Amino acid sequence: MSATTDRLRMSDLARFGAARTPIADDAIDGVMPRALVEPETGEQMAALLAWASTERLTTVIRGGGTKLGWGATPRSIDLVMATARLNRMVAHRHGDLTATVQAGATLTATNSELAKEQQWLPIDSAFDAATIGGIVATNESGPLRSRYGTPRDLVIGVTLAMTDGRVVKSGGHVVKNVAGYDLGKLMSGSFGTLAAIVDVTLKLSPVPAASRTLVFRYPDSETLSQDAARLLASQLEPVAFDIRVHHGSGGETHRQLLVRFATSPEAVDAQAEAARSLLAGGTESIAQPEEVIWRDQTRQPWTGSGAVVRAGWLPALLPRLLDLVDELKGAGGRSAGLHARVMTGAGLIHLDADDADVERAVALLRSRPDVVSNVVVLRQSAALKARLDVWGTARGPAAVLQSLKKAFDPAGILNAGRGPV
Amino acid sequence: MNAAFVTECQRICGDQAVLHEPLQLMTYECDALPHLRQAPALVVLPGSAAEVQAVVRLCGREGVPFVARGHGTGLSGGALPVPGGVVIGLARLNRVLDVDIPNRRVTVEPGVTNLEITRQVAPFGFYYAPDPSSQQVCSIGGNVAENSGGAHCLKYGFTVHHVISVEAVLPDGELMTIGSPAPDLPGPDLLALLIGSEGTLAVVTKVVVRILRKPESVQTLLAAFDTIREGGAAVSAIIGAGIIPAAVEMMDRLAIEAAEAAVKPNFPRADTVLIVELDGPAAEVRELFRVIEAIARRAGAKTVEVAQDESQRARIWKGRKAAFAAMGRVSPNYYVQDGVVPRTKLPDVLDRIRLLGERAGLRIGNVFHAGDGNLHPLICYDERIPGQAELAEEVAGEILTYCIEAGGSITGEHGVGADKKDYMPRMFSQDDLDVMQKVRDAFDPKRLCNPGKVLPTPRLCGEVPGPYRQHPVEAAGLGERF
Repeated sequence: MSATTDRLRMSDLARFGAARTPIADDAIDGVMPRALVEPETGEQMAALLAWASTERLTTVIRGGGTKLGWGATPRSIDLVMATARLNRMVAHRHGDLTATVQAGATLTATNSELAKEQQWLPIDSAFDAATIGGIVATNESGPLRSRYGTPRDLVIGVTLAMTDGRVVKSGGHVVKNVAGYDLGKLMSGSFGTLAAIVDVTLKLSPVPAASRTLVFRYPDSETLSQDAARLLASQLEPVAFDIRVHHGSGGETHRQLLVRFATSPEAVDAQAEAARSLLAGGTESIAQPEEVIWRDQTRQPWTGSGAVVRAGWLPALLPRLLDLVDELKGAGGRSAGLHARVMTGAGLIHLDADDADVERAVALLRSRPDVVSNVVVLRQSAALKARLDVWGTARGPAAVLQSLKKAFDPAGILNAGRGPV
Repeated sequence: MNAAFVTECQRICGDQAVLHEPLQLMTYECDALPHLRQAPALVVLPGSAAEVQAVVRLCGREGVPFVARGHGTGLSGGALPVPGGVVIGLARLNRVLDVDIPNRRVTVEPGVTNLEITRQVAPFGFYYAPDPSSQQVCSIGGNVAENSGGAHCLKYGFTVHHVISVEAVLPDGELMTIGSPAPDLPGPDLLALLIGSEGTLAVVTKVVVRILRKPESVQTLLAAFDTIREGGAAVSAIIGAGIIPAAVEMMDRLAIEAAEAAVKPNFPRADTVLIVELDGPAAEVRELFRVIEAIARRAGAKTVEVAQDESQRARIWKGRKAAFAAMGRVSPNYYVQDGVVPRTKLPDVLDRIRLLGERAGLRIGNVFHAGDGNLHPLICYDERIPGQAELAEEVAGEILTYCIEAGGSITGEHGVGADKKDYMPRMFSQDDLDVMQKVRDAFDPKRLCNPGKVLPTPRLCGEVPGPYRQHPVEAAGLGERF
């Protein structure tokens, strides 16, 4: 145990923000933190981290709490530092297409504010409560990455609270800027292991004037792959181009391509028509409202039970990936599915199965680097998590990552033992 | 440079690939920022990643600083040699290793030029998006170091958005892949950190870039305005209409004159020209181009010329891309500045620059990426007139002050390098810079990898900053320190 209980008196923590004793919902992987603090400023965040470093108190940074299950099981957690009170939009410079948002603001709230000027942050999250800070720290992405990139591509500046008590900045308010190291990019994917994000400045986009989504069903993988390749080779420019495969418990299989065009009205119509003639192997399904289609596509892997695995592949390997997903279902389990981006080769594999089957499936995926890589297990049962290396081996140059971790978090308090560094 | 070190370099790279004669070294004294010069002690030209690695390891063992260099087109002295140090020239690493059309990527060595990538994939209907004006000659390794942009980065982003992975020799001599061929490598994004680190964190030996399908249609217009403010208003209206053009460029009267004298693009005689380019699916370009033409006319354009074919379009871009070099036609010398302001602040900052030029008695031409607020003032001077070169440099510095005051940046694409490191404390606090130094030390604890660039040289304990000296700009009452 890193600190004695009496060191965590709420009265001691009050100088860093609103402090309280955790309740059951605050547990992470079943581990109960000893205290929860909600700082109101970046300075309080930094002061809390500095104090926690001195006291060697392990600290987890929490935004909306929607992705806290990602990562290894913590041995113990002393503090949860929540960003709930840092939830303002600091500035929306609509003429410049940029906005500065505090870490604890939700994507949903941010986008409804930006919509007043017909602008948006073209980022997907599978979770209603997901915050900007959490989305950047995990680089969560979805169908829109095909056109707009992942959150890391949109971050142009950050304010960080460091474990030595300092509040620092990198980048700025302008889209084009190469002065100094881009620490915002370093935060991307860092999972709260290096520093706490106080606020983020982001590049925005205008909300497209028109948008249309087409959904096609396929009888088999081969026809689907052929159509996907045809659309990829064309000069059409969808903002999202996704695939959805579902092997159900009754032996039924659904295979779909989802294509979204979003630009000026005439161009949307023209591209939709062109896509219809290209995707000739599929049957166009009766369209639901567009928001429902994409909401489902983003959230389905997380609804219900089962394991969720993130993976990446070379786009041209889609046919082999589809075979591999078929193989996963064949290996056992109630259902298996894939929700993925065709153009980038990124997505989530969903498996509703017993632990032993999930474990075999993960091992199978990791044994096929010729098809998939960066296999990370994002959700699984607690028992399985204790046995699995959720991150896998591919994480970049270990020596540099360790040096960076040591430089940013010398006491090793941030997201300790949960990774990825 | 001791003889044993030279011999070891010769053993690694071959005799022909090690330069140590003063005349040979002169070529490497500077990059495209010629007023900063420093002869290196030695230049090595490795022919493989393994040779780069062996040289970096040797430098590490012997404590010799090293500077990687591509084709020397950098504009901030990023490849300026270090006294007593080695320049690792990557020009021989110029092979295209793999063109993978199905997976939309090309693997090249760092000495391959930017334009060569597009040349390789154009027959398949693809291109590489970042297009710095120097794209015919600049190296992709240099692009990675500087996070190069170009005229089309408004829509397509910078080098960081188009590189999938790199192979690099880290300062400790490890040869590593940074990034991953497939998406979503877990962990902090070291690749994105490395891109734009100006050669201070690693020496890149291989680059995998993403290529894009050529857009179905491209349309370009050239609109002439009586004032920069009118042109600026047109740009605001375009963005306000929810349109992100592929490029939005502006040039002022002096830049137009210079381009006309150099490459005769047949630009209209006007105070300002605005170039707007749209690309994408034909229907989209057709529909939005009508909107843009109407906006330009409403904003007061005297003339609107729409490129009718590829040769007309090429002519417009030739005029724009030649603007820097063309300054040589209207002035004996010129100083290129690179600063950024939030786009909406452009008219105010341009007014300040105009007044500054008038007060200083120097002509300043303006060429800028109006879509993203990236300014390139070209300050004309005559080095034969005593004090004028210094005055031009001071004026250039004053412009950066305007950029910072407007909430912008001291560099949008040319980099900090050796040139602007002393401006970094104006944009960042000492704490900000300390954290950047921590990042650097995590990669390069011995501080041998392109030292003296990007971050201001830390002062030693007890060392006092140099004596206050009034600059010509201050003496003339044109600006003040802060």
